[in-house]
Amino acid sequence: MPRRTAVAADSGGQRAPEQDPAPGGGPGIAATPAGDPLLAAKFEIPPAPRTLVRRRRLADRLDGCAGAPLTLVTGPAGAGKTTLVATWAATASSPGPVVWLTTEQEENGPGPFWAYVIGAFRHCGVPLPDVPPPATGDGVGHATLVRLAWALTRLPRPVVLVLDGLEQLTDRRITDGLDFVLGHAAGRLRLVVTSRVEPLLPLHRYRTQGLIEEIRGADLAFTGVEARRLLERHGLKPSEQSTTALVERTQGWAAGLRLCALAMRRSDDPEGFARSFAASRQAVADYLLAEVLRAHPAPTQELLLRTSILDRITPSLADELTGRSDASRILTSLAHANSLVEPTRDGLGYDCHPLFAAVLRAHLRIRHPGLEPELHRRAARWYAEHGGSTRALRHAGAAGDWGHAAGLVVDRLAVGRLLTGGNDDRLVRLFDAMPDEFPAPAAALVAAACSLARHDRPGCRARLARAQALFDAAADPPSAAARAEHALLRLLSGDAAQTPETSAARTSGLLDRVPAHLLAEHPEAESLRLLGLAVRLLGEDRTDEAEAAFRDAAASCTAPVTDGLRRECLARLALTESLRGDLRRAEEHALRANAADGAHRTPARRGAAALAMAVLATERADFADARRHLHPACEEEAVRLDPCLAAESAVVRSRLGLHDGSPQQALAVLDAATGDGRAGPSLERYPRRTLERLAIARSAAHLARCDHEQALSALDVAEPSDGAVAVALARAHCAAGDPARARRLLAAAGRHGTGPAGHVRSRLVLARAALLAGDRAAADGWVAQALETARPELLRLPFVEEGPWLRRLLERRTDLARSHGWLSPERDGTDGAGSVPAPAEPLTGRERDVLRCASRMLSTAEIADELGLSANTVKTHLRSIFRKLSVSRRGEAVRRAVRLGVL
Amino acid sequence: MRYEFRVTGRLSPAVAESFPELEPVPAGEETVLTGSVTDEAHLYGLLNRFQDLGLQLLELRRLHG
Repeated sequence: MPRRTAVAADSGGQRAPEQDPAPGGGPGIAATPAGDPLLAAKFEIPPAPRTLVRRRRLADRLDGCAGAPLTLVTGPAGAGKTTLVATWAATASSPGPVVWLTTEQEENGPGPFWAYVIGAFRHCGVPLPDVPPPATGDGVGHATLVRLAWALTRLPRPVVLVLDGLEQLTDRRITDGLDFVLGHAAGRLRLVVTSRVEPLLPLHRYRTQGLIEEIRGADLAFTGVEARRLLERHGLKPSEQSTTALVERTQGWAAGLRLCALAMRRSDDPEGFARSFAASRQAVADYLLAEVLRAHPAPTQELLLRTSILDRITPSLADELTGRSDASRILTSLAHANSLVEPTRDGLGYDCHPLFAAVLRAHLRIRHPGLEPELHRRAARWYAEHGGSTRALRHAGAAGDWGHAAGLVVDRLAVGRLLTGGNDDRLVRLFDAMPDEFPAPAAALVAAACSLARHDRPGCRARLARAQALFDAAADPPSAAARAEHALLRLLSGDAAQTPETSAARTSGLLDRVPAHLLAEHPEAESLRLLGLAVRLLGEDRTDEAEAAFRDAAASCTAPVTDGLRRECLARLALTESLRGDLRRAEEHALRANAADGAHRTPARRGAAALAMAVLATERADFADARRHLHPACEEEAVRLDPCLAAESAVVRSRLGLHDGSPQQALAVLDAATGDGRAGPSLERYPRRTLERLAIARSAAHLARCDHEQALSALDVAEPSDGAVAVALARAHCAAGDPARARRLLAAAGRHGTGPAGHVRSRLVLARAALLAGDRAAADGWVAQALETARPELLRLPFVEEGPWLRRLLERRTDLARSHGWLSPERDGTDGAGSVPAPAEPLTGRERDVLRCASRMLSTAEIADELGLSANTVKTHLRSIFRKLSVSRRGEAVRRAVRLGVL
Repeated sequence: MRYEFRVTGRLSPAVAESFPELEPVPAGEETVLTGSVTDEAHLYGLLNRFQDLGLQLLELRRLHG
């Protein structure tokens, strides 16, 4: 599996046998949700430096923290946080097993973070039965955390989890999850955190409740005695006076003292050095590092400066950067002398303290202006050759070597990752700095994908054309992956030069030629192809085929990486079903699109889901609900820049305008949306059916202000695509007092629009026509039919839209009104959040867990299984939820909870 | 927005060069760096860079006018 070797080299060359991903873990835990193997190196307690000074006073405090669930070790870079906790953890005077996790920015998302935490527990042999690896791409189901906390409570003795370098993780969802697990592990979890900054945990609460022990920067500072021991460990015999001076000058800062030791050892006159340092006014690290550097021979200085761009030094890469072949010897002797670099635990590479590396880079820039990009370029090539794709990309970007960086993505069929959102947004961000016109075909292809990720379809097409031209001009033919990705992006960008089928089939044919292992690694390519086909079909008004295609696409999204795509497919399905009046199905799909929440916050995929809820609510005449969902949907570029979605959001807003009693406002919204038949800023043409939807909404707005002329002319559509326009026209004619014409129109249209919506609306027109012709009985019959069709779907909008005639008819036929109580929504439809009664008693966390499961349509037994509860307990929770939300059924509970924002 | 940062110690040209957007002025045992800061992201980025280079921040203030 190439991916594995890729990351293997990431951790510094060939992987040692004990470095195999997730040793001791089951197969299910061997990867993060994004599919990257877990790096076992992160689970290793960092080795103590040979010059370590044991500081009892601090180790004792760590021991003494046994009672507190949280121990926080904070201090600036180089204060000795990691060393302190690592030596304490390694001596295992802690009350239970110590689980170590070195956190890095790559885990800055709940998915990868919890995958690593669970991996770390397994790595240390802590039994966590029934804790599954996180299942969703970017997020972690609450259930996983519940199970983790529960599993921890079952441990015979407390376990210590060390999270080293938590400042790297700024995602609040991670700290929220940590807080939850810590609070629910019944004292079986002790968390030890090292961080440069205070983590986002509610520290105030921990402090007031006495749940936290803190070791701060001032505690970490070396005392005179400790500093003296440190210097002695470096083979120095400092005088009392210089030790005091050094401690004072460095304020006991560990990294500073260590640099002092290195400089003094290289100096002919250590005491003199201490004196001049104490007298100097330079910044500590700056001064000392320059001194230490100066004390080394030129080749060593060069090596240190040039490798400062790396986060991990391996001898062969160092040779690549220096153009020499002595890196192995120099690094060995540097490490042997404990000078600036430390060998990594696997013995294959060396680490330079990040603080030292930062200062060394500053010196590199002065000594060799302009060399840094060249070094990054060489590092990128080296990593690419040695299979370290992530690092290769990072260095290629830093070098401005965009052709290479883009090639790394394109030739590995990873372009789709730019579009799946979630975690992989960082890929898009990596290419933010790439100049738009970078003259490489792969770069143009990546730029096209980035445009698409920003919903700029015309921009994507322009860049695809550029990519094609560059491919044609290039000496080498493009790779199979590049050709397939080009075709895929063409399909997704809605290139009208090809029919949807041709475009999709072409992409499929080209994907077939891509090596199988790449296809297996990138399931999103096929899902994107199916989604692309469906969106294209929708754009060509082939609604039924599009619906089937969305269904296929949703079914193909089984991998975590395609979570966001599935969300979009379900939302689009819900939208088409809503427009047809199939509201029960629409509701199921919309809820599923909005479920698994807290997971994907990718704008691209959430907007459509929110809009689907808004459209559904509108069709049910639940305007307060529609407004609530519409607001977030309209914020999304994905909605504003997609012709179909933008139009539907305009239609919803126009309906809300009518509901507010302002047809003017409704018309203004529609005018703004329609413009010259192009959708807003993207300047793309609306599909015909979408234009018709806008025309029908416009006609309804004119009818609301009793302007029959305009209501009719708004519907002046050539060759309507289905009966919906005919029904709307008939309605306008009826309103204008021409029932005969209305009836002729309906008869000629034959099919009165598809689905319950068409059926209900046409029956209502027929009813009104019958009334106008004086045939009350016929009118009653048509209305009864319309009500019967609409009832199971709770399709209220067509009835709400009709004028006083319908109200009078229902007042006359009280039997009809009585048997269709559903017609008046539970609430009167007035807006404002105040109209939704908040639950008298808030739901407990566990009740919310149960409800969340219920929203995923799980049965009682499945919920019990998922949450590790008994079926009876689940039933008790459900009863309590029903009581608190004053509902009597699960579906209602879920709906109400979604409305209240509880879910 | 112009900001002023006061850090401990004088800065070598190498370290000063790491903050091309700021003008360093030595002040006794300290250095005052002044310059314009684009936004909050830039500000926090600068604070991180101070930390990365082991510079101790003593004072930070926004200059008006």
